[in-house]
Amino acid sequence: MTFAAASSRLVGSRINRKEDPRLLTGRGRYVDDVVVPDMLNAAFARSDIARGRIVSIETTAAAAAPGVVAVLTGTDLNPLLAGPIAATPTLGMGSPGPHKVLADDEVRYVGDPYAMVVARSRAEAEDAVELIELDVESLVPVADYTTALLSDERVHPQLEDNRAGGMVQPLDDELRTLLESAPYSATDTFVQNRYLAVPMETRGIVAWWDPGRMSFDIWVSTQSPHDVRTVTARVTGVSENQVRVQMGDVGGGFGQKAYLARDEQIVILASYHLGCPVKWIEDRRENLVAATSSRAERATVSIAADQLGNILGVRVDHIDEVGAYPMAGSAAMMGAVIFTGPYRIPKLSFSTDSVYTNTCSRAPYRGPWQIETYVREQAVDSLARNMGLDPIELRRRNVLQRDQLPYLLPIGLSLDHVSPAETLEQAAAMIDYDGFRAWQRQEFAAGRLVGVGIGLYIEPQSAMGPYAAEPAHIRIQPDGSTDVYLGSGSHGQGIETTTAQIVSENVGVPFDTVKVHQGDTGTTPYAFGTGGSRSGPILGAAIQLAARDLRSKIVEIAAHQLEASPDDIEVTGGVAAVRGTPTRARTIGEISRSAYLDLGALPPGMEPGLETLKRYKTDMPFLFSNACHMCTVEVDGSTGSVRILRFVVSEDCGVMINPSVVEGQIAGGAVQGIGGALLEDFIYDADGNPLTTTFLDYLLPTASDVPQIEYGHVETPATTPGGFKGVGEGGAIGAPAAVANAVNDALHLVGARVREAPFSPARIVEALEAVGR
Amino acid sequence: MAVNGIPRTASVEDRRTLAEFLREQCGLTGTHLGCEHGVCGACTVLLDGGAVRSCLLFAAQLQDAEVTTIEGLSAEDGSLSPVQQAFADHHGLQCGFCTPGFVVSVTAFLSSNPAPTDGEIAHALSGNLCRCTGYQGIIAAVKAVAGR
Amino acid sequence: MKPAPFQLHIPSTLEEAVGLLSQHGEEAKVLAGGQSLVPLMALRLARYEHLVDVNRIAALQGIAREGGWLTIGAMTRQTTAEAHRDVALVPLLHQALPLIGHFQIRNRGTVGGSTAHADPASELPAVALALDAEMVIHGPAGGRVVPAREFFVSTWTTGLKPDEILTAVRYPVWPGHCGFALEEFARRSGDFAIAGVACGLEVDQDGDVARAAIAYFGMAPTAVRASAAEAALVGSPARGADLAEIARLAASNTDPGDDIHGSAGFRRRVAAHLTERALERALRESIHA
Repeated sequence: MTFAAASSRLVGSRINRKEDPRLLTGRGRYVDDVVVPDMLNAAFARSDIARGRIVSIETTAAAAAPGVVAVLTGTDLNPLLAGPIAATPTLGMGSPGPHKVLADDEVRYVGDPYAMVVARSRAEAEDAVELIELDVESLVPVADYTTALLSDERVHPQLEDNRAGGMVQPLDDELRTLLESAPYSATDTFVQNRYLAVPMETRGIVAWWDPGRMSFDIWVSTQSPHDVRTVTARVTGVSENQVRVQMGDVGGGFGQKAYLARDEQIVILASYHLGCPVKWIEDRRENLVAATSSRAERATVSIAADQLGNILGVRVDHIDEVGAYPMAGSAAMMGAVIFTGPYRIPKLSFSTDSVYTNTCSRAPYRGPWQIETYVREQAVDSLARNMGLDPIELRRRNVLQRDQLPYLLPIGLSLDHVSPAETLEQAAAMIDYDGFRAWQRQEFAAGRLVGVGIGLYIEPQSAMGPYAAEPAHIRIQPDGSTDVYLGSGSHGQGIETTTAQIVSENVGVPFDTVKVHQGDTGTTPYAFGTGGSRSGPILGAAIQLAARDLRSKIVEIAAHQLEASPDDIEVTGGVAAVRGTPTRARTIGEISRSAYLDLGALPPGMEPGLETLKRYKTDMPFLFSNACHMCTVEVDGSTGSVRILRFVVSEDCGVMINPSVVEGQIAGGAVQGIGGALLEDFIYDADGNPLTTTFLDYLLPTASDVPQIEYGHVETPATTPGGFKGVGEGGAIGAPAAVANAVNDALHLVGARVREAPFSPARIVEALEAVGR
Repeated sequence: MAVNGIPRTASVEDRRTLAEFLREQCGLTGTHLGCEHGVCGACTVLLDGGAVRSCLLFAAQLQDAEVTTIEGLSAEDGSLSPVQQAFADHHGLQCGFCTPGFVVSVTAFLSSNPAPTDGEIAHALSGNLCRCTGYQGIIAAVKAVAGR
Repeated sequence: MKPAPFQLHIPSTLEEAVGLLSQHGEEAKVLAGGQSLVPLMALRLARYEHLVDVNRIAALQGIAREGGWLTIGAMTRQTTAEAHRDVALVPLLHQALPLIGHFQIRNRGTVGGSTAHADPASELPAVALALDAEMVIHGPAGGRVVPAREFFVSTWTTGLKPDEILTAVRYPVWPGHCGFALEEFARRSGDFAIAGVACGLEVDQDGDVARAAIAYFGMAPTAVRASAAEAALVGSPARGADLAEIARLAASNTDPGDDIHGSAGFRRRVAAHLTERALERALRESIHA
């Protein structure tokens, strides 16, 4: 029997996923599938006004309702808080609080929880929530982030104003002069709509404080099980080793589940308070209204070029909202770092304000800083139009070429190992950009509005602070089967599969014998969590280091037992053999058995066992992938609806572990971006009331709304072990810009322009009517 | 009611939906609740052979019904149905939460229309929401089962 | 997201069902396919003490041709109707059914349920209104028939009394040289329409429009007819009619609201476009019929 072929080149192969058989047959285990004896169910009472002073909360009737075990308010739970509720990486950054989990003085957004009912069933809990009487004095909300800094009202009264953060970068004289006197320039204000992560599985948690064992067992839908443990310990005051967190299968996160929010912390405190298991499964309306908010940004961009079309400099004035209780706040700083992105732009000024509003709290969402690509790419199109150049031509004149790398970004950071020019040209060739222009003219003559748009970008993976490192623990068992323990976990990324590919290839064991364990703090090494597109580059590197370490030990043992030189040992398909003499071989099982049970067969002095734990840490603050999205659209001149005709992505994420997984990430991100550009819009009215609170109003794209996505790959390896780069977020970064530019390219045919997303039929019709169409 | 061919007798609260009955009283947790208001399709099951939203039916309405869930679509030995296998082969899932609803819907759709056009496929799939895949692998899987 | 508690009644006869409705009055609601009602209950936007499930009443099922009419039992599933041979006799209905929700919804949703739910943005009330269908109703006092024009009162409100049940919808089969077209505009496939129109035209032997029906959905608190535009069409030569002008007239006499998907003006623009397209299709078909 030989496994050699099966395990020789697994990295790079489109092998089927290990996760799929259980997920396809209904045998996955998500948090709502967890049932614990005597488990109670929770439902929240949430504010239905955007801002108000709480006069009283009357819970008597609710407490007497059938099935109700407890009705908990801030009076019950807030005093139990043993530590700050803020996201772990933001500790010490002066978050304004509330430093309490349940609103007890003021409700600050529609959806703000002020009480929780714990009952036998969720239905009974919801019945009782309706019986809670909240006496609240309505206050004027800060509903509009664009005017929040001018408002006399304060989201947090202890603060001077509604500013949550920001950076004012004074415009230096040189850039001011450039922008004023350059031969060509463009200034536009772009608005991006508020759209949300919307994982198909809502948030949820089962928290069980067992007073007898003095320990917490927690099952939770999260991206960061170890941080859930840290937060649980922090807010309850127990020690971390009293807490075990298991995440099971997770139905999507996209950033929303990166940090444990107030809601889950309330459930944890309630269980601690009551001493029994409590389950809370968020319903969809809660998820839309109260989980997390994202996007909702505005930027004014001025960009200038010389006579030859060399971009000279850019000025950006940006504002975004962080809602009432942001978990991680704005990502605009990251946007500033990467703003000039794939172009040679020597001068940049980037000012930003983040403001509190009486809306749902901001949390990271897939490419949280993507406003930079969104507005930069539209600004480049504006500048091209003002110059009478095709947008692709202006990009060709300014895109970073390989021989210009490393390139020092205006912010002082070095950009390297990227391929923006290559991806631009690959995408242009795939979509036949020049051919499209000819066809566009022909179609316009026949009355059709079609356009092409480009979204070219660099995707940074932050490797700062806790994000710099990831662990991988591999153990080969005495029977030769391999267990891999990861501290971060998959919520759809296929990490069980890609990990097994790396391990199989680098250890030399069959793919099928590798089992990957994740999401259980009881068995896995500490890791900060899955997010920031770091699973490829940093976790992947750790896995590769650990796998190679084990292989070396296998080789050493085999060489000793086969009386050969380590240089002559090959490990493949679960067999270590002397090169050229396949009969002189030991299976991994035999080697592993000796490592644990027949210690005398090991080389003298060797530590027994066949397992390793490696942590990889990068010293670079950022790693970079890059891509170019290009799409063509048709705008219906009567109804304003947009149909995407073709959508092309040329992506460079370094060495691909599994191209199907890579393409899945690209497609998923791109369709979220398309949704955000065309359909999705979480709308508040002027009083801070959300208007899109169900799936009938908040429009996710369906199979009928998406084009076939065509992929091109450029492979510029990273310098990390394995050469992998992150690809989780890029799709969501490039697509909105490409769609925006394509729609406006079509509208440009009749002199119309839309600068505010989403590009809804009504908004496009408004633009068409403004030019008399 | 018969669920996946097994007769089930239970007393249920009137407001209990079929989805809740399947998940909590039959232990069939493959039927997922993604919205509970009939839009996302994650809870899709076969009712007397036709695909329906199990969050929009009350269990007590279905005394003589035959219900098939995702757990009932694979063979007894655990081997995947052709639709399930095609989803695996074409990376038609990521987080897997919407997947049971898609598999059930696609199974019903292809049994009534074994040779659909691209437009019919997109239209038929538009009653199920997926947030991970951008539908690319799902559409490819349906085409593969349809022999295209 | 769980409905408030209620008692579920499952009668097997119409009399029993009407008896339950009489007994519980405003506190009771008929549960047909439940594809609109149950979401409203889950969101607790609607609540009833009693639900009268009419899914097991055999008399409410079935499709029959009688003279110039096609009668569809109220509890006939939309997919059953969609696939039924005789439904092609009522082309507007035939065109409308596949546009309702998604196939999983239509497997459970019923022709009568969707009609009686009277959502202003749904297709079936507009089809009934366009065709001058008849609503067959049963109550404690027996049966009565109400013309569609009198049936749809306002959003989610019809001429049904609390103790009455819609048992069937009778659609007239238009004779002669007729054409029909239904057009709708929605943000996504399967969504409620932002604007929609159902048109029927009959052309006489001289090539003049003998009968015209234009009914909108999504353009007012209920489905509405565009009577002025219909009048402008009737008697005029089918070929050469200024359909764009008639469509504009038809759309301008509607009263849509402003909402997150667009202003009233936007809806009228879209409606005019849909109407022109629908009239063109219907006219082409009637001339060749």
